Amino acid sequence: MLSFSRNFEKILLNNVEKSLALSISYSTETKKEVKEEFRILNLKSVKGKVQPRKPQKQLEALQPRASKMPVDQDWASVWPGPKTFHPASVPLPVRQGYVEKAAAAPDKYGNAELMKIPNFLHLTPPVIKRQCEALKKFCTPWPKGLENEEKCEKHFPIEVVSSDYCHSAPTLRNPLARIVTIKLKLSSLKLDGRAKDKFIRLVGERYNKETDTVTIVADRCPLKKQNYDYAMYLLTACYHESWNVEPWEELKSEADMEYYYWNNNASKKSVEALFGKPTEDIPNVQEYSEAVSTLINEGESEYLVTKYGQSVRKLLGLPDELKS
Amino acid sequence: MLISPIILKRYNRLNNTSAITFLQKLFSSQAEEKIEIPKRIHRGPTDILRALETTISQDPTAAHYKYHDDPFLIPMSNVGKRTFAMAQEAGKKAAHWIRKEHADLFNHREADPIIKVFLPKVSFNEQSEVSEADLKQVINDVLVSEAQLVYKLLKDRGLDISNETRQALLELLCYTNDSDMLAEDFIEERWFRQSAKSKEKQRKIWKDNSLAEEIFISIENPTAEIYSAMIQGMCKYFQVDKAWHLYQESQEKGLTLSSEAYSSLLRVVNFLKESNDLRWALVEELLGKMNEAKIKPTLATLNAVLHSLSTMGGGKVPRTLALKVIREFKGLGIEPSLGSWYYVLITYCKERGPVSTILHDIMPEVENKEHQCLDMSDTFFFVTAMDICKNHLNDVDLGKRVHKLLHFGNNYNLIGDSYKESIYYRHYFGLTINNMPFEEFMQNIYNLLVPNIYVPEPGVMAEVLNQVDFNGAVEYLPQLWSDMIIFDHINRENLIESVLNIIENNKPEDGSKFHEIFAGIAWDLFNRLEEQGEQRFNKLRLTGDQLGKVMILLLRNKDFKKACIIMDKLDQEQHTVVGVPKIEALSMYIDSCIENMAPSRALACLQYCSDCGFPEVEDLGNKVHKSMTLDESNLAKLSKIVGPLS
Repeated sequence: MLSFSRNFEKILLNNVEKSLALSISYSTETKKEVKEEFRILNLKSVKGKVQPRKPQKQLEALQPRASKMPVDQDWASVWPGPKTFHPASVPLPVRQGYVEKAAAAPDKYGNAELMKIPNFLHLTPPVIKRQCEALKKFCTPWPKGLENEEKCEKHFPIEVVSSDYCHSAPTLRNPLARIVTIKLKLSSLKLDGRAKDKFIRLVGERYNKETDTVTIVADRCPLKKQNYDYAMYLLTACYHESWNVEPWEELKSEADMEYYYWNNNASKKSVEALFGKPTEDIPNVQEYSEAVSTLINEGESEYLVTKYGQSVRKLLGLPDELKS
Repeated sequence: MLISPIILKRYNRLNNTSAITFLQKLFSSQAEEKIEIPKRIHRGPTDILRALETTISQDPTAAHYKYHDDPFLIPMSNVGKRTFAMAQEAGKKAAHWIRKEHADLFNHREADPIIKVFLPKVSFNEQSEVSEADLKQVINDVLVSEAQLVYKLLKDRGLDISNETRQALLELLCYTNDSDMLAEDFIEERWFRQSAKSKEKQRKIWKDNSLAEEIFISIENPTAEIYSAMIQGMCKYFQVDKAWHLYQESQEKGLTLSSEAYSSLLRVVNFLKESNDLRWALVEELLGKMNEAKIKPTLATLNAVLHSLSTMGGGKVPRTLALKVIREFKGLGIEPSLGSWYYVLITYCKERGPVSTILHDIMPEVENKEHQCLDMSDTFFFVTAMDICKNHLNDVDLGKRVHKLLHFGNNYNLIGDSYKESIYYRHYFGLTINNMPFEEFMQNIYNLLVPNIYVPEPGVMAEVLNQVDFNGAVEYLPQLWSDMIIFDHINRENLIESVLNIIENNKPEDGSKFHEIFAGIAWDLFNRLEEQGEQRFNKLRLTGDQLGKVMILLLRNKDFKKACIIMDKLDQEQHTVVGVPKIEALSMYIDSCIENMAPSRALACLQYCSDCGFPEVEDLGNKVHKSMTLDESNLAKLSKIVGPLS
């Protein structure tokens, strides 16, 4: 019983609190109304008079100007530059978008699909033709004496590649514009065998064996010109360095050679000793020397070993098969 | 010779680096065959864009590019055009204001190279530390009030400024008359500003005792340049007496003024002397002084002399003198600009003077040429020439020649501002509409220029409607009517009147589709006037006569229901509707009541007729009585209205 009465008190208190809160919230509003009738807190605004809306005045708009365009108009003037598709300015019945079953694709009015994709309405073939005509006055004829690719390559062996960037931003700098690449054919440099070998060693992976091109990329300096100068400096330095012969280069012994040259090796001497005459006079020595070189340079394989065996037999005049 | 040509060009100017010289040495022996690389064709930074621009011509279906290309956003009336453009400009101004108020928020320097105009303006106050460099900077940026403040601060600090800076400041103050100028990037404001300058012209607006004069007084021995600046400023703002005084002072001191100073004095000769003879004598005197001082005259001198001649009335003397002056200046190698011809035109073609065909002689001089703006007055040529073509000569061929010249090359830049442009087209329309076949006018001129380039004013529209009436070219009416709605002309009483007259007078044949179209126009007109805003200050109301016409048009289209609405309005608002409809309209309505078996409506109309006091009411009553079977009460009503029935 006691607990109940307490509960009851609590509920009562709660209610009083609520009504107090309500009355406070209303007291700020017009007091007269509160006196006249008890307003219900209408949070969801379910009932009540709906205020009649003023009929909106219809906006007068022009006809789409596409409907006024003559058929022989100059399209280049109507759509002179790249811009988003606009149905009122394009007199074409274009359609685009998801096709409902048994319905046509959405037409051009209010079609977001058409506005999303980039259009090339400003670059129709006649426009391109006209623009090319207009730009012709800035073009010079192709240089005489450079009619084909070989001639170009002969006279201008170095190819310099760099990029300029044009973008819409407050700054017109682009860090990528500093990179300069120079390319040239190794054969266009005047190098002998040793110098060429040294040059290739100096440039390392920048040399492509298959195409015989050297590619130097310079991007360490902040400016294009500096990078260009640096790349040219590298090329010059490598070239002169490869012609230099250092004292220690003379010390290169047979063991340091990267290729097996039969002429320089013990095999030649022993053949000469065996026959007792210089190699030029020995028949079939050519085939033997090639077989030895390939065997050592390319490593052993069954084919090469067999070939080596055959050349030895030929050299020594032995029969092809051992007679058993 | 071996590096690619671009690189060669780019780097040859820079000192030949070792790499290049080395490569040249290295490969030069190989280059046996002669290679001819053509010289690069020089081009400026925008030449490519300009070349591409030449491939584009004007598109008459498009609005000016400052507006959004969207039917809902293209302004259609003259007011709309102005409002849209000025709203854009207002946005720009708001941005300027924000930048000024919160300058500290705009100090990020993202752009490279820095764009100066985007940075907050430097502001000075009484406490700022300023130097002469600051003064030079604000003078360079044409900030007049800042320049005044900085100068004051410098003086308070007791710092001296160099003579060149003082001269520059004085020239700025004289040029702007000590007041700030409209910033350069408010193009639209410039374009739409009413050029009421011509009215201001005659008034002294030079600020006396301004800073410019203060500076002038503070200089002990003014040089010729300082005198020149002061004289030019005073002449520009019509402080003529002081200017003349300064001129005489400088002459006493034996100073040689600049040719601009002489030109500005020549321009205000009509303020200095009373009679034309004295004025011309003064012009000759000044030119003689220039000759003595060995100052070479310029185009500005020529235009100033011609300007003065144009103010000397319509006698024969100024005309011959004007041509003489032009000839003499041509002898000096000064070709007249369009502005010079403008002065010749206004000298020759006075409103009340005899008709002069001088424009015929001027045209060959200027035709098929692209003109640059060389003088302020150049922008007056086209509008004046078209005015003369229309009002002075009424010569449509000449008008076409002027129009062709306007569209030659970039000559359209010389049209001036929006005000001059619309006056030009007003004259052009007025000239062509009266002198060309109406169809040709609509095809070649109206459809091409309206509404994107020119929106006809109500007066021009009235003339177009007149021609429609005159030629009976009612097929253009629907188009004109929708244009009138768009141009906001439907609150013009005379235009409404003439539209109604045209469609009422030009009755199409029975069964023609025009019945429906005309009824549509009339009904649209009626509705639009009914729907005018409640709070509209001076509402346009249709008169009784006009309502009758609307009713006739509706009845011709057999639209009885709508006609009833009109009749109800006439009947119920007898106090507010001015005047009464013609009896034809009412009798037509009664006929149609008979046709539609509506006796009570017929009786109401008869009542209205009798209230208005039409004598024909009796005949109409008899007609109703004969053609309709009326019940007792209706018969009683009828006899009450028309008296005893026969």
